[in-house]
Amino acid sequence: MSRRPLMITLMAWLSGLASVHASGQGAHEALPLNAQQILGPFTNSTIMVWLAVGLIVLFCRMATRRMALVPDGLQNFAEWAVESLYDFLGGLMGERLVKRVFWFYGSIFFFILVNNYMGLIPGVGTIGWHTVDRAGNEGFLPLLRGANADINLTAAMAFSFALLWFYWALTENGLKAFLAHIFAPKGSFHGLMLALMVPIFLFVGVLELISIAIRPVALTFRLFGNIYGGEQTTEALMALVPAKLAFLPALPFFFMELLVGFVQALVFTLLCAIFLKLICDHGEDGHS
Amino acid sequence: MITLLASAVTENSGTFETIQRTFGLKGPFFIAQVINFFLVIFILKKFAFGPIQIMLEQRRARISQGEEKLKQIEQQLAESEQTTAAAIARANEEAIRLIHEAKLGAATFTEQKAQDAIAQAQQILTKAAAAAQADRDRLSLELKREFGRLVAATTQQVTGKVLTADDQRRINEDALTQIER
Repeated sequence: MSRRPLMITLMAWLSGLASVHASGQGAHEALPLNAQQILGPFTNSTIMVWLAVGLIVLFCRMATRRMALVPDGLQNFAEWAVESLYDFLGGLMGERLVKRVFWFYGSIFFFILVNNYMGLIPGVGTIGWHTVDRAGNEGFLPLLRGANADINLTAAMAFSFALLWFYWALTENGLKAFLAHIFAPKGSFHGLMLALMVPIFLFVGVLELISIAIRPVALTFRLFGNIYGGEQTTEALMALVPAKLAFLPALPFFFMELLVGFVQALVFTLLCAIFLKLICDHGEDGHS
Repeated sequence: MITLLASAVTENSGTFETIQRTFGLKGPFFIAQVINFFLVIFILKKFAFGPIQIMLEQRRARISQGEEKLKQIEQQLAESEQTTAAAIARANEEAIRLIHEAKLGAATFTEQKAQDAIAQAQQILTKAAAAAQADRDRLSLELKREFGRLVAATTQQVTGKVLTADDQRRINEDALTQIER
């Protein structure tokens, strides 16, 4: 029981130490708001993305190296994690839909979660090198950056989901039903009432379209804001005290960041699931 | 979408650029991250969650088959129990019938044996009675003879008369008649 807090303390201390080393003489370097280019289109957050993917794949390969029908050890844990998420999403979206789309939701949840936690590893955002631009301004380029603290990645995930959402919505409903789902009056109206309701629901449909358009933006900024805000807060807290004690004020915040990392991964996945469920919500019986 | 964001957020076209500049949202990076992301989910699907999902599917199928088999076994067990109960009931009926028949047979046999015993006893009694009668007759005859001889001897001594064979026979008969009365 006592090992984990010790580990966290050690990590936080190393984080402080890393920032000391990174900044040379102990001065604190603020984490830049933007992801920075390392090579071509690759930024320091891209490196983190692939490190996270490597870690997940490595874990899954280790867990599935000796697959057995009666699991134990890593396989047991991996299956528990995947099955728990599958059942959770299945309860939300329905068995048929989750079977079709789980590959995306499972990937996105664990990808965000691992990236959020990797962003807390000491050295991320603190180990790097000093730069001087053409104007002579000094800067700091971290080698690694929390992937979800880069808006390009969160936007890429949100907009990729938006594309897949359209694809799934159209293939699940058909174009006619998809449009009807957005614009058609809900409920049974006849005669004059129907004539009155049609323009209202057309207007509601336009609002729905705006809502659909805003969703990826909201997903993007929610995840980015929470993770970047967490990193900035940790940075700010560490800057409050001398560098050798920097881990102390950050320590309690690490625990909160562990929770935030999980919650944000869950919120992103959950919202994506709800958005898809809303457009495909015509009951499981409709497909039988 | 980005255009919509730009038009929705601001009246001023420069604001979107400000947002882009502030947050570091850059076209090439964004496109690179989209490509990255699709690669990521492909790799995760193929190498990470795919095998686990296949295993989970196999287990679900196995559990489902197991449940199916369990139902079949339960059904077979119920049928077997019914068959066994019917066989036991038939065996019970047969046993009861056999016991009943055995009881009947035993009663008949007992009766027969009793009758035989009675008949044998009757025969023994008859034989005994016949033997007793014969003894009695023999003894009676001997007694008569002895008695006649005694009567004749006594009469001869009392009367001093020698009795003839007819006298002896007549006296004997009288005496026996008296005795038999």
